[in-house]
Amino acid sequence: MSPVPAAALLAALAAVALIAERGWVVAAIAVGLLAACLRAPRGRRWIYLTGTLVSALSVFVLSPLVAHVGTHVIWEGPKVPVLGYLDVTSEELSAAGIQALRLAAVGLAFAAYALLLDLDRLLQAAGFARRSVLAVGLATRLVPTLERDAAGFVEALRGRGVHVDGIRGHARLLSPVLSGSLERALSLAESMEARGFGRAGRTRAPGPPWTRLDRLALAAAVLLCVGAVWL
Amino acid sequence: MALAQVERLTFSYPDGDRPALSDVSFRVEAGEIVALLGPSGSGKSTLLRALAGLVPHFHGGRFEGRVEVAGRDTRRFRPADLADEVASVFQDPEDQIVFGRVENEVAFALENLGTPPTEIWPRVHGALADAGIARLAERRTETLSAGELQRVCLAAVLAIGPSLLLLDEPTSQLDPDGAEAILDLACELGSAVVVSEQRPTLPLERCDRVLFVEDGRLLLDAPRDEALARLDSAYLPRSPAIPGAAEGAGELLVSVESASYSYGSVRALDAASLELRRGEIVALTGRNGVGKTTLAKLVAGLLEPETGSVERHGSVCYLAQDPGRYLVTERAEREASLAVGGDLVRARAALARVGLAGLERRHPRDLSSGERERLALASVLVAEPDVLVLDEPTRGVDPPRKSELADILRAESANRATLIVTHDLVFAGDVVDRVVQLESRELARA
Repeated sequence: MSPVPAAALLAALAAVALIAERGWVVAAIAVGLLAACLRAPRGRRWIYLTGTLVSALSVFVLSPLVAHVGTHVIWEGPKVPVLGYLDVTSEELSAAGIQALRLAAVGLAFAAYALLLDLDRLLQAAGFARRSVLAVGLATRLVPTLERDAAGFVEALRGRGVHVDGIRGHARLLSPVLSGSLERALSLAESMEARGFGRAGRTRAPGPPWTRLDRLALAAAVLLCVGAVWL
Repeated sequence: MALAQVERLTFSYPDGDRPALSDVSFRVEAGEIVALLGPSGSGKSTLLRALAGLVPHFHGGRFEGRVEVAGRDTRRFRPADLADEVASVFQDPEDQIVFGRVENEVAFALENLGTPPTEIWPRVHGALADAGIARLAERRTETLSAGELQRVCLAAVLAIGPSLLLLDEPTSQLDPDGAEAILDLACELGSAVVVSEQRPTLPLERCDRVLFVEDGRLLLDAPRDEALARLDSAYLPRSPAIPGAAEGAGELLVSVESASYSYGSVRALDAASLELRRGEIVALTGRNGVGKTTLAKLVAGLLEPETGSVERHGSVCYLAQDPGRYLVTERAEREASLAVGGDLVRARAALARVGLAGLERRHPRDLSSGERERLALASVLVAEPDVLVLDEPTRGVDPPRKSELADILRAESANRATLIVTHDLVFAGDVVDRVVQLESRELARA
């Protein structure tokens, strides 16, 4: 599938997941997107899937504790300053489940975008706001680059017999990894300018023609957006 | 009229305490091949950036004098406006890749320069074929080796067909055959080429003229034959003096037996065997992508073989490629003390051994690239390992510093086994006792 209709479909699914009132619709979208993400190589997908899962679980666990909705108490917690009683009701649990599913679906839509779409072709297809699309594309690639740099630091230290363990050990790497990524970003910007980026009168390499599947995906994206209010 | 003309150029970076270039003047004629030599940090890269207009437009700083390329004054024309005449390949290919697919990377400059759309893909595929990497057109850039990425960067500038091609250590990550092929390709393009290299043999064999820069000053601008008579002997072309294959007689410290390893579904090493003994320095050579770094990591214990075995007796330290990038503390002495549990006395002694006495309290990122490399070396030498593994330790290191590195390694060689992964056969010839060549993912002893 071409990246433009695929991106439109993912955006529509994320929008429906945010708007839909029925829990099973949101759950179905999340499951479908998870299945799509599992097609990506294991080495690349774990960071996106772990991030999404941790965020969704955090919402599911924490939001019932801070919300004060419903009357069917299923757990009575202590009273804490500012928040009051940490009671959990079945209504809060249900709402937290839906919110967690929404977050998971949006996170998985982004994961599918980053893992499965050919971002280069998406950029080629961008007829307008090309700089913004390029910035998004480069930012998306920043995650694996940072991951690779961090792995390089860990390996360099292991090579000296220094083991990087625990949160404190990894936190020590945060500053050098970020400084390294800034240096890398400057070098990249320099290389882009030397290759004419920002010059007037640019052209576009022709992309492959759209297939029937591409047109169907775009139509589905439009239908999903229109039909979201009834889901 | 000269293609490029530099007149009395003096330039200081915004945070520089002294000029990076001082009163530099020279000309480059159309089609001329110029070798740009000099120690690390002497101003070679700055000079190349001045020719591309990146100095001063991208870097800022104080710029005096005049640089003109193809009749355009670089103070008035931005680098992007010079990009149809001047193309650059920088040192580190990983820092130049914008796109996720190879053919898009090569098309990027053509699109920026307003090439008619119908011409873009034929020129992209022509350049990929010229660079010998037509098979990589559809590949993801993050799956390529450093050597392959370097070829992609070269293809990206070949596609433009510039009048002036600026190459900043373009072969630093390539094996000797690959480096020769890349330089031949650049020289046959018909463009003027200014090439900076720390392995000077290949450019000196091909150039018409030599520029030698030191401390920001142009000390030599002469035709090749005259330059060969005047250059410091460390920079003169030399044939590598490859030693024999006799193994040392010392204590066996590492034994690799039929070891294999794969990254995901890609087989990196097949049934490799190697022995390292105390007192010997061994070079591990071979073509790009043959599995040298994988074998080195198996020796160092950073990877474990899928099949076969690796036995290690004693401590092992490993210095990765481009080690100056992987420094984690805020003071040189602390960096060097990491491997010895924070022992600053041993750390300072190790820094002194690599010529960094007096810089103990400097932030590693405030050191020059050569000093960073030496700090990284001190950070492994300090542990006094029984086995020392160095992966491409001479990359970006100038010839005099290679001699210093060779002296350091030789001075301590009796205490340990040293394995050096390298494409630099001249350096290998100077320092090692034995060369092991990895071929076709099987190990053959030379």
